[in-house]
Amino acid sequence: MRNLAKRVIFQTLNDKRSVALILIAPLLILTLVYFLLGDSDYVPVVVLDENAPTQLVEAFEAETLDVRLDTVDDPFGYLEDNKDVDAIFEATQEGTTITLREPSTKSSKAVREIQAALSALNPAADIEMNYVYGEEGQSTFDSFGYVFLSLFSFFFVFILSAMALVKERSGGTLERLLMTPIKRGQVILGYTLGYGVFAVIQSVFIVLYTIYVLGLTSLGNIGWVFLVMILMAGTAVLFGATISVFARSELQVVQMIPFTIIPQVFFSGLIPLDLIPYGLGNLSYIMPIFYGATAIKEVMVYGSGFAGIWGYVLGLVVYAGVLYLLNMRALGKYRGH
Amino acid sequence: MDIQLNDISKSFGDQLAIDHVGFTINSGDICCLLGPSGSGKTTLIRLMIGALAADKGSVRIGETVMPNMHMLHNIGFMPQNDGLYDDLSAEANLEFFGSIYKLGKTTLQQRITEVLTLVDLTADRKKLVRNFSGGMKKRLSLAIAILHQPDVLFLDEPTVGIDPILRRQIWDQFQGIRANGTTIIVSTHVMDEVLECDRAALIYNGRLIAYDTVPHLLDQTENGRVEELFLIAGREGGTDHA
Repeated sequence: MRNLAKRVIFQTLNDKRSVALILIAPLLILTLVYFLLGDSDYVPVVVLDENAPTQLVEAFEAETLDVRLDTVDDPFGYLEDNKDVDAIFEATQEGTTITLREPSTKSSKAVREIQAALSALNPAADIEMNYVYGEEGQSTFDSFGYVFLSLFSFFFVFILSAMALVKERSGGTLERLLMTPIKRGQVILGYTLGYGVFAVIQSVFIVLYTIYVLGLTSLGNIGWVFLVMILMAGTAVLFGATISVFARSELQVVQMIPFTIIPQVFFSGLIPLDLIPYGLGNLSYIMPIFYGATAIKEVMVYGSGFAGIWGYVLGLVVYAGVLYLLNMRALGKYRGH
Repeated sequence: MDIQLNDISKSFGDQLAIDHVGFTINSGDICCLLGPSGSGKTTLIRLMIGALAADKGSVRIGETVMPNMHMLHNIGFMPQNDGLYDDLSAEANLEFFGSIYKLGKTTLQQRITEVLTLVDLTADRKKLVRNFSGGMKKRLSLAIAILHQPDVLFLDEPTVGIDPILRRQIWDQFQGIRANGTTIIVSTHVMDEVLECDRAALIYNGRLIAYDTVPHLLDQTENGRVEELFLIAGREGGTDHA
């Protein structure tokens, strides 16, 4: 088993693309996600009637808004003609109207800033929002960053192990290996251990980079995050090995991603499971990323320790155990079983 | 070590791949499994090694009924598609497979030197296999198969895609290995290669159509060509299980 793990490590090190896939790709994508979902310095453009009261204009200008004064007869036509304008604010005797270009994060930001300006004008209408965990106005990256930790620790290790094992099957090395006196359990654990080494390094890279470079905060001990990510990666190796049984080429592994990985993304915590209709949220229990993402959320967002995550950790261990048995069974066909 | 196939049959789904095949390979012989592509040669080898269990009948290597994990210590196997790790050097491939047989560090290094010399790859031992030619890969694959000095060596189409000069060299190596008492089972669809063997089993559509010493087999033909035996089998209805 140790020799097999050593062989997997040396073989992976000799393939620079695999090393890049497992160590550099997650950091690159996390950085992109950080810029896409992090704090934006975008300043929405809002148009007020040129006869708007000075007090209102000043309140708007005090917020992060680019305020323009103009006469607007037809708000829809005006927004059509002025592509750089995000919102038109109109206050009349009949009420207040905000016309926006389209539902988008830019529009949402414009509305938030307008509401802040109106609250400043009428402090009695100001609503103070308090959160037990997190704070008002935190970026999307701050809210969902933990999901990407589990997603990436699973996805890249899965790709690497599934591809490598398909290559072993199609290239005849697995058949040759199983024509030796090696035990099937040693084969599976050897692969898991070999890729597990990269998984540990990847987990350290991802967690430290996310926390110390991208500034994602963790209320709990990051040691538990490491534990969960390493378990996730180990499960990903076994998941990849299981999927490789059903693929005859690397291309077929890619073709299976929409069936195996993408559904897990939706059950990883990006969307609250309670919002998923028809009880479909329960499908999360058959998805390993759910256990990892939920455990990481418990630690990073809620500050839980082992007492708060043991159920999810157990879920991952059971999942890995089932995959191990499936792989044992799959390898049996090379041994006349 | 002799090998006894006792009336074995194997089906995949409703397709009969091996149909009541039985013969004995003598210890120290080179036995050729000869037949066209898809005739069942690889399946027969996998049944003998124990990679497949027969639906009917049994396989014995020496006194051991296959499949048997312990017997794998005495078996060398060279698969049809080389079965090499491209991202490792020739030496690392040998070290890895050698470690499975628990040869011990000194013995393993000694055997690696010996087999690399035998297959003429000593100068290339540090090169990554991905940079090897097809012929070099075949030779390294053979080196791995004989590294642990097995009593029985199975070679599945070892010369397919190999030029005539290299094929000659590889057969010379087989003869050298046999000289040490190793029983060798070679599958091939190249009729001429039967002349290199002591005995040949002619496989056609999963059936054994002939098994004998090579001179006796050739005596049954009109002009000394092995192909004739297959043509006779075809006329006699050997395509039942196609």
